[in-house]
Amino acid sequence: MDTLFERAAEALDRARTGDGFGPMPGAEPEPESTALAALALDDGRARAWLADAQRDDGSFGVWAGPFDNDSPTALAALALATGPARERAIDHVLSNPARRVPADRITPHDPNLTGWGWADGTAGWVEPTARTLLALRLLRPNATAAIEECAGFLADRECVDGGWNYGNRIVYGLALPAFGQPTAVGLVGLHGMHVSGTDGDVVARGVDALRRLWRVEGGPLTLGTALAAFRLLDLPDAEGVVEHLQRSLDPVNTDVIALAWIALASGPNLSNLAVAT
Amino acid sequence: MSHPIDRRTFLRRAGTVAVGAAAVGVAAGAGVPAVLRRFDRPWDEAAFTPPGSPKVLVAPVASYDVDLESAVEEGLRGVGADVRGRSVLLKPNLVEFDRGSVINTDPRLVAAAVLAVRRLGASSVVVAEGPGHRRDTRYVVDASGLAEALEGVDAPFVDLNLAPVSRVPLRSRFTPLRELWLPTPVTDADVVISMPKMKTHHWAGATLSMKNCFGCIPGRVYGWPKNVLHWSGLQEAIVDIAGAVRPHLQIVDGIVGMQGNGPIDGTAVDAGVLVFGTDPVATDTTAAMLMGLDASGIWYLREAGRFLGQTDPERIRQVGEDPERLMTPFDVLPAFANLRIGSSGSSGDAETGLG
Repeated sequence: MDTLFERAAEALDRARTGDGFGPMPGAEPEPESTALAALALDDGRARAWLADAQRDDGSFGVWAGPFDNDSPTALAALALATGPARERAIDHVLSNPARRVPADRITPHDPNLTGWGWADGTAGWVEPTARTLLALRLLRPNATAAIEECAGFLADRECVDGGWNYGNRIVYGLALPAFGQPTAVGLVGLHGMHVSGTDGDVVARGVDALRRLWRVEGGPLTLGTALAAFRLLDLPDAEGVVEHLQRSLDPVNTDVIALAWIALASGPNLSNLAVAT
Repeated sequence: MSHPIDRRTFLRRAGTVAVGAAAVGVAAGAGVPAVLRRFDRPWDEAAFTPPGSPKVLVAPVASYDVDLESAVEEGLRGVGADVRGRSVLLKPNLVEFDRGSVINTDPRLVAAAVLAVRRLGASSVVVAEGPGHRRDTRYVVDASGLAEALEGVDAPFVDLNLAPVSRVPLRSRFTPLRELWLPTPVTDADVVISMPKMKTHHWAGATLSMKNCFGCIPGRVYGWPKNVLHWSGLQEAIVDIAGAVRPHLQIVDGIVGMQGNGPIDGTAVDAGVLVFGTDPVATDTTAAMLMGLDASGIWYLREAGRFLGQTDPERIRQVGEDPERLMTPFDVLPAFANLRIGSSGSSGDAETGLG
């Protein structure tokens, strides 16, 4: 029987469009899916597509009217080969944090921690901030202020019971629950760090939350990101996720972003994202 | 379901007697005084026909265990829906999933709608949604029971967060957005049917068939949540997006609705109704009234009533049950207390938040 990585990687490779990858098999290539596939497969063709897709300001993304969704840039930087293109991508990430959101009583948060957003000029959210954190720790470790900003943002947005949803801890006085996938991505960004939050060690509480959530939620994107988090944290929970995915993975009907996370998390190239501590 | 509406009662209950909708209340979000907005027409007049006299049908439906397929078929026939030979996209609300809550359009109703539009002659039917809070759409579709329900009627689901997109110029300009990326399954469908859950909304007052169009906006372009839209002005975005998607038909799931801190954290309320329509503004105006809310105080409805659809109860032809008889007052957050029919004034002001 093929390993989980072999199954996911084979399906992912079949899903490509030319040199790049779209969010669904055969769809027009886009930066996020291509960056994840390049990381998962260590794929030179995907890297070449990315290099061609880089914009003059070093970013990757899609134009969304008067807003520019540059959120794939951190992932693309991780996927690019060492060199000027990667440096320009990281420069762009560093110079484009999210918009500062004033304190408000409806969604309490620390207004001094902006994080990184999905689109330029909008608020910071968990997933883009966690991806920025990972990219900076690996590629620009001397950017300590930005790294601390990311970690602080994630601590500030941590859910009351640990872990993360998209990024709101409390709304109208009500504690919002954590979700599996953003919790996993938060842990991917924070692995190996010790960050204190309101209620203790943010990483340890995130791990507890992810242990509760992945079995309940169980979608392919949740499982792929959870496996990546558990493996980067060197936790035995990874074995349970692999067993679950071996049983449940339907490669033909799984989207490219989920497939790429599964291939990345189950294969040899995840080690490229491990931050030495 | 053939009781004619008592229009005088409807007018009184809707709280809009003899008052032009555009002239009432406080404009939210953009900070432009309402009196000035009356003279501002931020839409291409050639792109929108003036609001007419659309039909809306309110049907009493006590539970999800009745013959929903027949109820939907009768409701659509009642408003004159014609889907014969057309491709249909059903857009339920699955913004996220929380076990034990009533966030989502009930999967049994969605499945019934699939069967009903097939019976009415649709050439194809797909169900589509782009959840706004979760990236793992497969989880939401499975856990909500929608996947199983659709399997039972052999209908495909399309993830609008991942579907191909095309650029659509906006024909209204309430936000600074000048265009939207919309999924091609939405733009290519002959008929889009918005199927919202009847819910209060903590930043907009109510979320119905117009607000439900937010789920047509692809997350991979606009983020999770779709924060670009919030920064553009939530209520303004509701108007622009509904003006771009322009759902041809509406089926509001008010069998069990959500009150209080909706659209996610409210509580269930047995409202016992389905609302059908061909004009999303008229449908939402009627649904708001059924919730005990003064539609003229909901900013986005009031603005949409100037060009996109009908808010004047005098001109909405109620062809089903008397809405007054079926009204179930929904609890609202204190910020929206003035929306309650019978209160001293209306306030559609949306408080700001992160999204």
